[in-house]
Amino acid sequence: MGDDILSYNGGVALAMKGKECIAIACDKRYGVQNRTIATNFTKIFQYSDHCFVAFCGLATDVQTVSERLKFRTNLYELREQRKLKPNVLYNMLTNLLYERRFGPYFVFALVVGLDPKTGETFVYDSDNIGAISDNVNLVTVGTASEYIFGLGELFFKPNMNADELFEATSQALLNGVDRDSASGWGAVVYVIEKDKITVRELKGRQD
Amino acid sequence: MALANVLGFKSNNEFDRSLQCQKTDNNIDEFCPTLNIENIAQFITLPPYADPAKYLKMVNEKVDRVKIQFLKGTTTLAFKFRNGVIVAVDSRATAGGFIASGEVKKVIEINPYLLGTMAGGAADCAFWERVLARHCRIYELRNKEKISVAAASKILANMIFEYRGMGLSMGTMIVGWDKRGPGLYMVSDDGERISDNIFSVGSGSIYAYSILDAGYKYEMSTVDAIDLARRAIVHAAHRDAASGNIVRIYHMKETGWEKIEEKDTNDYMYQYRDEKTMNF
Repeated sequence: MGDDILSYNGGVALAMKGKECIAIACDKRYGVQNRTIATNFTKIFQYSDHCFVAFCGLATDVQTVSERLKFRTNLYELREQRKLKPNVLYNMLTNLLYERRFGPYFVFALVVGLDPKTGETFVYDSDNIGAISDNVNLVTVGTASEYIFGLGELFFKPNMNADELFEATSQALLNGVDRDSASGWGAVVYVIEKDKITVRELKGRQD
Repeated sequence: MALANVLGFKSNNEFDRSLQCQKTDNNIDEFCPTLNIENIAQFITLPPYADPAKYLKMVNEKVDRVKIQFLKGTTTLAFKFRNGVIVAVDSRATAGGFIASGEVKKVIEINPYLLGTMAGGAADCAFWERVLARHCRIYELRNKEKISVAAASKILANMIFEYRGMGLSMGTMIVGWDKRGPGLYMVSDDGERISDNIFSVGSGSIYAYSILDAGYKYEMSTVDAIDLARRAIVHAAHRDAASGNIVRIYHMKETGWEKIEEKDTNDYMYQYRDEKTMNF
């Protein structure tokens, strides 16, 4: 593995845009360098009815940043008396991460959201100090991100429906993690549509 | 020309060159000597300075951020039992985090009655075990009998010892059957050579040892022994990130080795989960 802090625990996440739907997927491995300790560590967290964030990197920071973000979003909902929108969520995340600019958290994030009224989709990618990308079609983070990017670009088509989107996301993730020793051991995919959210567990290689 | 020869004058024209070539052909052994253990240094380029061990150490330890990391990311195991020796290996090769290949042949078939396993540097294991094969064949031709496992492993250990400290990376097990019965030796790059009933080498060996130690009995049947070896590799493949893909099993018998199987570890993992002997 080397002594790279971002590959100490491993893990990967991927998000793809479709027509009025989004898919976000992650692997389930929790390991310490070469040793796999658990196969139930999902990296996707829900912050609102249609807003999800995936965190990849050092596992302790995945837990801490997700919980600190939850604290801030809970306060927002109590004060404003309304649910979060994806833009608000990603701005909160940027600020949270930049507060630690000179002693950063070792997590890279994906922020995804859907506006249930208009069907507008949002997919953003963040580095560990809060640089957010534009609203893009495909994002990946984690130790296997390069391998999944290649497959994702191959399988992506604009305006896919929910089923095609699920297939494309699953295949990109499952085959990409087979080339990385620090990710895999199962996967979970969330497909977010205007009226429902479907969670599916994928049967992946367990080695 | 006669005058030129008498004076020892070498010219570049066609006539003289052809005479020179003939001379070369007669003395061809001087230019292409045969490879043996004493003159192997002529065939392998050693670094052009004195005391290569001291400077080659730099590439193995971290000096100026230069480091060739030979990660022994693998799981290989072998154990003796009543009916011979079982050898089982995985097939994954990792370079840092990247899985470079899932189909590496980590059992080297030295000859029909000797096997060697590969852990550490693939090139090191493959090359030196091929040199060992040559030595074993010459022994057989000279002495009209098969070489013993003890002798074969000693030849390998001595060859490696010459290069101690220069950065070879090998953790290999030599398995065979000779007139003393089944033989199993572990030979490694620091010159260690030991014999025992159970060995496992590689980053996944810790997981394989626990399965082997729990289920090992010398009086096992062949079917049970193969199952134990398979389970050990499959459990190691599951827990160790640097092991996995295909499990290959060989059985060393009195008549030589036999390849038992070559199957995907992932299929076994789901099968063991259904049988409730594995949990994930």
